[in-house]
Amino acid sequence: MDVDLFLRFLLNGIGNGAVYGAMAMALVLIFRTTGLLNLAQGEMALFSTYMGWGLTATGMTFFGLQVLPGDLPVGLAIAISVLISAALGALIERVLIRPVHGPDKSPLNVLIVMLGLFLGLNALAQLAFSDDAEPMPKPWPSKPSAGSPTGSNRYWQVGDLRIQSSTVALVIMLAIVCFGLYVLFQRTKVGLKLRAVASNPESARLVGINSSRMLMLGWAMAAGLGALAGCFVAADRGSVNPGLMAVVLVYAFSAAALGGFDSPLGAVVGGMVVAIAEAMTVGYVKSLSTIELVVPFALILLVLLVRPTGLFGKKVVERV
Amino acid sequence: MKRTRTRGLLALLAVLTLLAGACSSRDDDDSGGTGGGGGDGETEEEVADTYHVEDCTSDPTAEIEGDTLKVVSSYPQSGLTGAFAEIARGWATRFDEANANGGVDFGGTTVQIEYEDADDEYNPQQTASNIEELVGADGNGAFAVFSVVGTANNINIRDFLDERCVPNVFAATGSVAWGNPDYPWLIGSSLSPYTLEAQAFADYLEENDPDAKVGMLRQSDEFGATYEEGFRQAIEGTDIELVAVEEYPVGSDQVGSQVTSLAASGADAFFNGGTLLACPNALTAKQAEGWEATTWVSGTCISKTLMGIAGAAGADVLSLTNLKDPLNPEYAEDPAMTEFFAAVQEYQPNFKGRELDLENAIIAYGYAQADLFIQALEAAEAPTRLAMMQSIRNLDGITTPLAHEGITFTTSGTEDSYMGESFVLVQYDAAAAHFNEISDVIDFEGQTADLTPEELITA
Repeated sequence: MDVDLFLRFLLNGIGNGAVYGAMAMALVLIFRTTGLLNLAQGEMALFSTYMGWGLTATGMTFFGLQVLPGDLPVGLAIAISVLISAALGALIERVLIRPVHGPDKSPLNVLIVMLGLFLGLNALAQLAFSDDAEPMPKPWPSKPSAGSPTGSNRYWQVGDLRIQSSTVALVIMLAIVCFGLYVLFQRTKVGLKLRAVASNPESARLVGINSSRMLMLGWAMAAGLGALAGCFVAADRGSVNPGLMAVVLVYAFSAAALGGFDSPLGAVVGGMVVAIAEAMTVGYVKSLSTIELVVPFALILLVLLVRPTGLFGKKVVERV
Repeated sequence: MKRTRTRGLLALLAVLTLLAGACSSRDDDDSGGTGGGGGDGETEEEVADTYHVEDCTSDPTAEIEGDTLKVVSSYPQSGLTGAFAEIARGWATRFDEANANGGVDFGGTTVQIEYEDADDEYNPQQTASNIEELVGADGNGAFAVFSVVGTANNINIRDFLDERCVPNVFAATGSVAWGNPDYPWLIGSSLSPYTLEAQAFADYLEENDPDAKVGMLRQSDEFGATYEEGFRQAIEGTDIELVAVEEYPVGSDQVGSQVTSLAASGADAFFNGGTLLACPNALTAKQAEGWEATTWVSGTCISKTLMGIAGAAGADVLSLTNLKDPLNPEYAEDPAMTEFFAAVQEYQPNFKGRELDLENAIIAYGYAQADLFIQALEAAEAPTRLAMMQSIRNLDGITTPLAHEGITFTTSGTEDSYMGESFVLVQYDAAAAHFNEISDVIDFEGQTADLTPEELITA
């Protein structure tokens, strides 16, 4: 086997894996606090990504009004998009999700609201920003190149291998997110409250934790994380377009299913496994390369059969 | 908690099923028209036979009623492929312009052209229901169908229109299937057939790099198969070798690992048959691999948006076209171009509320199709559907102002349905962000059918 070629496929997989992992983590954040699988996660991220792009573009208008500043450096644009998205995420939880979600309400209600968000946010992003593929500037070191608004990646040559700045940036992004969430959950009071609400909402409320605020915080963090992952994946692929996140979400779901829907670590590992499996399938299993979506589906099925809680998920024991 | 998890998984499965359903495509019924054969200079019976007039459920020899010729269309206006709507801005402009100038002389009757369209989001099923509604079960809702976008979309309406003998003209794709004589009521546009792209690249390599080893990226559908089989036929008997072919699923734009495989195959030439975002993404991946290869891009990739995303990664790629590129400063003072710009600004500055970008080449494409259509109407012998179809199927070396110098459009009955058989080669100048012409007119007039494996035409 050609080791060099294998490593090139591996690098392709790792870049995508960081994105799938980050999106899967956003799913996990909401699942842990509310027990919901946020179907609209991908389109929330798409809206945020278009917003990030819009802030870097010239003369961007929002429904005909110049409410957003334009021409911002991409790093700042992404930071603003993450913050606004977090606020919007909290708002969505408060205004749209909470009224239809609860122990005494039909689970179908919230499902339909999320499907509505899924379709509505995609349409809204196109209406508000653009329905075309738009070049997304790179928030990592890149070479300016004539005729290209986004420049091209820098790379490091290691033997015959080229390691792209995009791959490194995506991995660093994921590492920072993991570290940040670890500190938040394990080392802060807010994190403790979040964990308490996740593990037992009723007891948490009884000890005086404002669980509704924690739910909003969970959605806010997921929305902000989605914005970050969306902007990075758009920059990696060169453009943001209305179909960008639909496929990413499928992979993120399978990453989360693989890792366990309540495990952030599982999300990261799941993302990497799914993406690397995808790259290797395209590389080595030619007969499957045109139906590469089979890979995440097969992985989900396998995991659900063998280990229904996912690789890192906690088994829920109910006392009778 | 446990119940929530089950519900969550059910929801996940529901979504996955939806997505899988959206990705699969319907198999088309291949049975259809009964006509066949025939060129021009035919007797009345031969014409009736070619266009299976006897079997038409609405009479194609009936003269147009009133002084309005209604054309209808269906194309994406929203969603991922919504940008294709700009084609219609171009043709709507040309029709408005003709109407403002007193109308079109269609076989002796002066008509105003009325148009109506519907959004299909590039979904072939939606195209079918749009067209069935616009045309009506009796075929009287419209006189002709014009510029429907997409190969599968046109295939999905061809039986319906063929039975009613409603012309479906200037189908906006370069599929070779429009040469199928079983469907005399369907004809493509001025876009060059995809097999000619394969032939043109093979000829280019033959001249510049006769021992080329070629790697090809193609979509895993008929469109991709046309490139591959066309290219295989084109390199027969040469020293050019197709060393690797990689496919990607329809609708996907992630082709990084495919390009990695191609780069590792030892190929020194790259046929990039990717369309939409797969095209620039493949070029970016090629650059990331550091793969040096003479590169051809699909004619569907010649667009400001797509090549803009590729940027420097698109430097020096080759392709072909037969229309002037509004991006190219060489045409800034060209009278045909300035007239076209003025017409768009006058008649369709706010088409469907979309922002106008005059440099978007597909507007010029749409305008040119309408211009060719109007010329065919004016050449028609009678104001009937049959005469319209006969006229479009017997274009005799006509041209249009937005076509390159020396480009002509010729068709011949059902023997030669292909208009875009002459073209020039173009090469991308990344720094200036437009394509430059690098060849004289290359003419394959009347040869497409011979250069195309037959099963691709009759598929």
